[in-house]
Amino acid sequence: MAGAGSRRGRRAAGSGLALLLALSAAAGAGAGEGVPEGAGPLVPRFVEETAAAGLEHRYGGEWEYMVGGGVAVFDCTGDGLPELVLAGGEGAASLWLNRSAEGGTLAFAHAEAGVEATGVTGLYPLDVDGDGITDLALTRVGANLLLQGRGDCRFAPAGDAWGLEGGDDWTAAFAATWEAGADWPTLAFGSYIDRREAAFPWGSCTANRLHRPAAPGERRFAPPVALAPSFCALSMLFTDWDRSGRRDLRIANDREYYKGGREQLWQLPAGGPPREWTEAEGWRRLRIWGMGIASRDITGDGYPEYFLTSMADNKLQRLAVVPPAAPDYDDIAFALGAIAQRPYTGGEVRPSTAWHAQFEDVNNDGRADLFIAKGNVSEMPDFALRDPNNLLLGRADGRFEEAGDRAGVASMETSRGAALADLNADGLIDLVVVNRNAPAQLWRNATAGAGNWLAVALRQEGANRDAVGAWIEVRTAGGVQAREVTVGGGHAGGVLVPWHFGLGPAAAAEVRVIWPDGAAGAWLPATANRTLTVARDR
Amino acid sequence: MQMLRITAAAVLAAALLALPAAAGGRDDAARAALTDWYRLVLELVRHTPTYSPPVAARALGYLGVAAWEAEAGGEAGRRSLAGQLNGLGEGPARAAGAHDAALVLHGALAAAVPVLFANTGPTGQRAMAAMAARIGARLAEGVAPEVAARSLAHGRAVAAHILAWAAADGGAVVENMGFPLVWTSGGRPESWVPTSLIVQQQTPLLPLWGDVRPFAMPAGGACPLPPPTAYSEVPGSAFHAEAVEVWQVSRALTEEQKLVARFWSDDPMLSPTPPGHWIAIALQIIDRDAIDDGRAREILARLGIALADSFIACWHSKYAYDLLRPVTYINRLIDPGWQPYLITPPFPEYPSGHSTESAAAAAVLTALLGAPFAFEDATHEDDGLGVRAFASFRAAAEEAGISRLWGGIHFRAAVERGLDQGDCVAAHAIALRFGEG
Repeated sequence: MAGAGSRRGRRAAGSGLALLLALSAAAGAGAGEGVPEGAGPLVPRFVEETAAAGLEHRYGGEWEYMVGGGVAVFDCTGDGLPELVLAGGEGAASLWLNRSAEGGTLAFAHAEAGVEATGVTGLYPLDVDGDGITDLALTRVGANLLLQGRGDCRFAPAGDAWGLEGGDDWTAAFAATWEAGADWPTLAFGSYIDRREAAFPWGSCTANRLHRPAAPGERRFAPPVALAPSFCALSMLFTDWDRSGRRDLRIANDREYYKGGREQLWQLPAGGPPREWTEAEGWRRLRIWGMGIASRDITGDGYPEYFLTSMADNKLQRLAVVPPAAPDYDDIAFALGAIAQRPYTGGEVRPSTAWHAQFEDVNNDGRADLFIAKGNVSEMPDFALRDPNNLLLGRADGRFEEAGDRAGVASMETSRGAALADLNADGLIDLVVVNRNAPAQLWRNATAGAGNWLAVALRQEGANRDAVGAWIEVRTAGGVQAREVTVGGGHAGGVLVPWHFGLGPAAAAEVRVIWPDGAAGAWLPATANRTLTVARDR
Repeated sequence: MQMLRITAAAVLAAALLALPAAAGGRDDAARAALTDWYRLVLELVRHTPTYSPPVAARALGYLGVAAWEAEAGGEAGRRSLAGQLNGLGEGPARAAGAHDAALVLHGALAAAVPVLFANTGPTGQRAMAAMAARIGARLAEGVAPEVAARSLAHGRAVAAHILAWAAADGGAVVENMGFPLVWTSGGRPESWVPTSLIVQQQTPLLPLWGDVRPFAMPAGGACPLPPPTAYSEVPGSAFHAEAVEVWQVSRALTEEQKLVARFWSDDPMLSPTPPGHWIAIALQIIDRDAIDDGRAREILARLGIALADSFIACWHSKYAYDLLRPVTYINRLIDPGWQPYLITPPFPEYPSGHSTESAAAAAVLTALLGAPFAFEDATHEDDGLGVRAFASFRAAAEEAGISRLWGGIHFRAAVERGLDQGDCVAAHAIALRFGEG
């Protein structure tokens, strides 16, 4: 956490970032261009193993499925290798058991698991009922669903038992948190266009739904509250943006369809109705084609930065002032080479369309990298049709460097959701991408010479067993890395796996957990290249 | 005068549900089809990134001409614009037999809109198809099939004629949303430089738009302007004083001035753009006063022509003078940390496009509807910007102009000279002969 307050320039052009901005502008470049050869980070090597791994899945459908297409990654067999559940759109969602050998090539086997709903746009893993078995939230075109994990990768509908009123909207965004003292989660489902307004859909955004717990001990949800106004959400994230211990709800909204809308940040006062942060309180009006949210403290100031995917230029938001008194953010994407505005390979000059984004350290050098799934909405002529996915590598100077083509993940398919996770327990982050109307793709990270790593799993008794809302800090000679444990964000999918940290050359690290209620654990020693499970009060 | 306010979305929703063809005969049916198509077009403008203000104005110009020409030579005695507009030749002859004016119009618009807005996304494509089907079905009720087919065919032929004419104007193909991949700065201290952090906007928008063939003006440079105030960095100079005015005004903006700045901001992809705003004003008046089909077509055609020409004239001047924006000058010489209230558009400053096009629109509407002509403007009501009332079109144009100074993105000279330029542009549109007289 940053100590004494520091005032950054309110706007990047007037701040110490001006030189970087000028350099970027002079290069006329998108991400990574103009970086001298040999000065960059280790470029990872990804090997596509979709066919060899046996993964055969397609997210398909027409207009109602132009958004969505998520993937959930979590371990439901208990073997330490995470499974995949992929949204199918008009087709069925499907679960794929992880049969990979540790450190070996990837292998998956399809299994009937009770997840095979149609109309699914997104999936997020979380343990709703605190039984230690991961459940699933499904966003849909139609009623949203909660599936209870029954063990051994079996799932059964639980929405009725848990009081979830799933509605009948077009939904592709989701986030979850546990409010202070709650024994049951709070869920947010983000709605999109009124799909019945085909001839005039603009301005028809349906209401986002906030499901808060019923009375303590009831273990069910109260009737949902409309998060009004709603502006066609495509990503949501509960996040402790100011490290206050309170988690507010960020919503990325698609300006294509709203009227009078903006990006949103909601507070959930205890016992009171949700309240939106206002411009007068410092939340600047930002109107983008908001499609995805990725968060990570990439500047080392102890506060999360937020990468917001959009069409053409993407945003990377950093607090204007730390410690913050207001949610006032500067956009530092241009300065840090993280614009990812148009294809960097393939010859297209038209702007890109970005969806899922996720920070992970793919070369274990101790710096977060950023993957962005790209793909045209549906043959929009103003935007690139051959739109490669991005892999932006974090550099020592704080900037990002494009390496998607060199790393082997520059797929030209029409991508939507994705997940980065270690799928074969070798400490290297692998990749799965869901494409629209095309097969999903799977890559194994086969990087030679990557740094050391550490994965941290959290456990606490009672509700919120996975400690969603906690902060994990990992300290090495290279500094402190901090990441927030969240359920939500990305585009239409998320991971619930041990949280990964690259350590660079460090053979050991210290780990501290700030639990969701704010209690700070002790610094714990950890040797590199293993998964460390931190159980509260043990 | 009745001061009825109806939001665009509400009007369209009601139109599509109620099928107003039965409300007042074929004239009302034709007018409803006209305004329904236009309201859809304003949404397409908003939701298609290619449609920066000049490009949108061009499309609105051709759409208005297509709607007018659909009935030119018909029973109503409307004079064709062939031979009056630059490069527009005689249109297709009508086949023998009766025609239904509403279906001819619909045939023309249903054929022209998908071409003029081909770049729109899947939602816009669906909406165009749905609109064509619904209006077509509505208008065909009670019309003999052979008449309907003949009418639609003639409308499509008119559209093809207009689209062929449009294809040769130099503005039909817009690459990279209008931002050239290569741009060389003027290199003078007063030259425009990028003001945006958006990568695409490191080059200026549509630098050759002043060469696009105008509709009614003889050439892009037909409404020239005096040079902007002589550039100087010396405190006390006239140019420095203009910059100080922008800076000082911006630091003391009232809430009303902020509202006005946002009301007229009309940002691309977040609004129907400035030309679409004036079309929206016209549509509200057409609805409010139940203006008949023929008059409504003339209003939209003359207005579209004036708007299209005003952006050609304005862009011609912008790139002739290549002047920097206030934020560049003020950051360089007065206040390094200053930022304008509005987002600075990515192209040269002089003159103000809002001022040119608003003055042109106001002059055309005044010529057609008189002065004073009080109206309320609910264009942005759905976006939470409320409704503004004006005593005249000119008053609205002047407010649109000064809003750009309050927004911190234009010097006063650009506003005042822009209004002058708009008057000049409008005179060419007003001089067109639409009737037989």
